[in-house]
Amino acid sequence: MKTKTRKLTTRLLALALGAAAALGVTERANAQEILLTGPLAGAPAVRKLRLHRQGRFEVSPSISFTLLDEYQRTILFGARLGYNFTDWLQVGVWGGYGAVKMSTYLTDQIQTRNVQRLGRPPTDTERRLTAVNLGPDFNEQLGDMNWVVSPQILVTPFRGKLALFQSIYLDTDLYVFGGPAFVGLNERADCTECATDGSTAFAMASRTAITGSFGLGLSFYINHWSALGIEWRFLPMSWNTGGFDTAGGGKDAEFPDNKITSADRRFHFQQMLSVSFNMNLPTKIRLSE
Amino acid sequence: MKKTGVGLLVATALWLVPNYGWAQKAKAGAAASASASADTSGNADASGDATATGDEAAAGGEATPGGEGTPGGEVPGGEGLEDICKIDPTACPNLDMDKEAARQFKEPLYAVQQIFALRVRRFELNPFWSVTLNDQFVTHPGPGLALNYYISNVLFVGINGEYYEPFNSILPFNAEVRRAARVAVPLTEYQWMASVQVGYVFAYGKFAFLSDFIFQYDAYLVGGVGALSNRPIAVVDPDNRNFDYKVKVQGNAGIGLRVWVNRWLAITGELRDYMFNDQLENLEVAVRPEDQQNPATWYDSKSHFTNNVQAQIGLSIFIPFSFDYRLAK
Repeated sequence: MKTKTRKLTTRLLALALGAAAALGVTERANAQEILLTGPLAGAPAVRKLRLHRQGRFEVSPSISFTLLDEYQRTILFGARLGYNFTDWLQVGVWGGYGAVKMSTYLTDQIQTRNVQRLGRPPTDTERRLTAVNLGPDFNEQLGDMNWVVSPQILVTPFRGKLALFQSIYLDTDLYVFGGPAFVGLNERADCTECATDGSTAFAMASRTAITGSFGLGLSFYINHWSALGIEWRFLPMSWNTGGFDTAGGGKDAEFPDNKITSADRRFHFQQMLSVSFNMNLPTKIRLSE
Repeated sequence: MKKTGVGLLVATALWLVPNYGWAQKAKAGAAASASASADTSGNADASGDATATGDEAAAGGEATPGGEGTPGGEVPGGEGLEDICKIDPTACPNLDMDKEAARQFKEPLYAVQQIFALRVRRFELNPFWSVTLNDQFVTHPGPGLALNYYISNVLFVGINGEYYEPFNSILPFNAEVRRAARVAVPLTEYQWMASVQVGYVFAYGKFAFLSDFIFQYDAYLVGGVGALSNRPIAVVDPDNRNFDYKVKVQGNAGIGLRVWVNRWLAITGELRDYMFNDQLENLEVAVRPEDQQNPATWYDSKSHFTNNVQAQIGLSIFIPFSFDYRLAK
C-alpha cells in the first residue's frame, strides 16, 4: 500500500513539474530569416500562363434556345462582343434575334380545340366563354420574343484545364455575367372590347421590356484564339405569352376582367441555353512572364 | 527500476531548457520583407518572421549550432562553397544566377500530374435534391440517394432512388389555361423512382478561383434502368376519377459534374433525363354516369413517351475517406 502511494506521489510530482515547466516557461523561437536567392526569387506562381482574354476583343457568334416555354420556343441567333480589360474582367454586350419560333404541343392542342369551337354557333357555351381569349388562330396571338440586347459585365473567376478521356487537354474557363437587358416583345395589344370576332380584338403590339439578365458559362479553348462556349442565361420578366385575359378583375385583381391589359402579364423566369464559337482578337495570345 | 517518474523528470528538465533557434546572419542593410517585428538582437516573435538588422552576435562569424550550412554558401563558421573551391577548384560550382533564372525549363510535365482524389475501390454515397427542368405544369422535386462503387478510377456501378410524393407541386399556370382556353393539360404526380446505374468519368481537371484557390473537378456520364411510380392527377373529371399509383419501367441517362472539397467530399451537380411511357388522364369523359365511374375509362388509350429532365444537386461522400497512391507524386 505504501509502495503504491509512493509511486503515485512520484508520478503526480513529475506530472506537476512537467506541467509547470510547460506552462510557466516561455519558449523562445528564433526565426530564421528567409532569403530566396535562387531562380525562384520573386517568381510568380505560374510562369508562361496563357492569357486567353487579357487585352483582347471577343467576337462570339451564338445560338440561343429558350427553355421551359409554355406556348412557343424561340431560337435566337446573335453574338457576344466584348473587350477584356484583364484576364478576368470583360465589358461587352450580348444580343440575339429571335429568328425561329416553334409552337409547343400545348399550343397545337389549344388551336385544335379552338378550330372545333369556331365551327359552332356563337351562342355555344365554350365558344362564348373563350371569346375574349381565343382568336381565329391561337398561334397568331402568342407573345414573341423578337430580340434581346444586354450590355453586360463578364467576370471569369475560375480558370483551369480539363482532361477529356485522359487524352485531350483543354484550357477551360467558368464565368458569370450580368447586366441590364432590353427585350423586344410582340404581345397581344390592350383591348377593352375584346370579345368581338373582329381582327382588332386580337391585334398585336410591340414593346420593349427592360429587365436584367444574368447567368454563367463555360469556355473550352480549342487553340490560342478560339473556344467553344456554352452558357445558361436567365431573363426574368413579365409578359403575356398566350394573349389571355388572366387577371385585372375580382379580388386582388387576380381574376379575368374581359380586357387585355398589362395586368395580364405574368412573371416568367425566362431561361435560355446558348452555344457559341468564341474568337479572341488579335489572334496572337499573350503569355504571362 | 521505476522508469515512469524518471522519464517524466527528464522530460521536465528538457522543457525547462529554452529551445533556441539561432538566426542566420543577415547581410547588413538587407531589407527583409517580413512584416513581423523583431527586437534588435535579431530575435523575431514566435510567428517565425524576422526583420534583418545585421548587428547581432552572429555577424561575428558565430557558428550555427549543429553545423548546418545554408544553400547560399554563407555559413557562419566559414564552412561553405568558398572552402570547397579552395580545396578543389574544379569542383567549385560556377553558376550564373541571372542566367539560371532566365533558363527555360524543359521538364516533361503532365497536364494532371496526380489525380487529386482516387476513386477506384471506393464507395460513393450521394444524397441529392432534384428539381424538374422540363415540366411547366407540375414540378416534381424531391430528395434522393445514390450509392456507387468505383470498379476503376473512371467506371462505377450503383443504385439510386428518389422520393417525390409529398413534394409534387401544381403550378397556377394550369388553372389559368383551363379557365382561359377551356383546355385541360393532363397532369401527373410522381411517388418514387429507383434504378441501377453505370457511369463513366470522362473528364477531370482543375480550376483556379481568382488565381488562388484550386478546385478539382470531374465530369461523368451516367445511365441506368429502373422503375418509377406515378399516377395522373384528375383534372378533367375530378368528381369521379381517383387514380392509384402504378409502377412503370424507366430508363435514364445523364451528365454530372463533381467539384471536390477535399479527398472524400465533393459537391455534385447532375442533369438526368428519366424516360418512360406514361399513362395520362383521358381528356374525354364518358357520357353515362356508370361509365364515368369505371376506371377503365379514366386513362387515355394511348401511352405517352415522357421525359422527366431534372437537375440534381448533392454531396458525394467517398468511403473509405483515405486512400493510397500507387506511385509517388
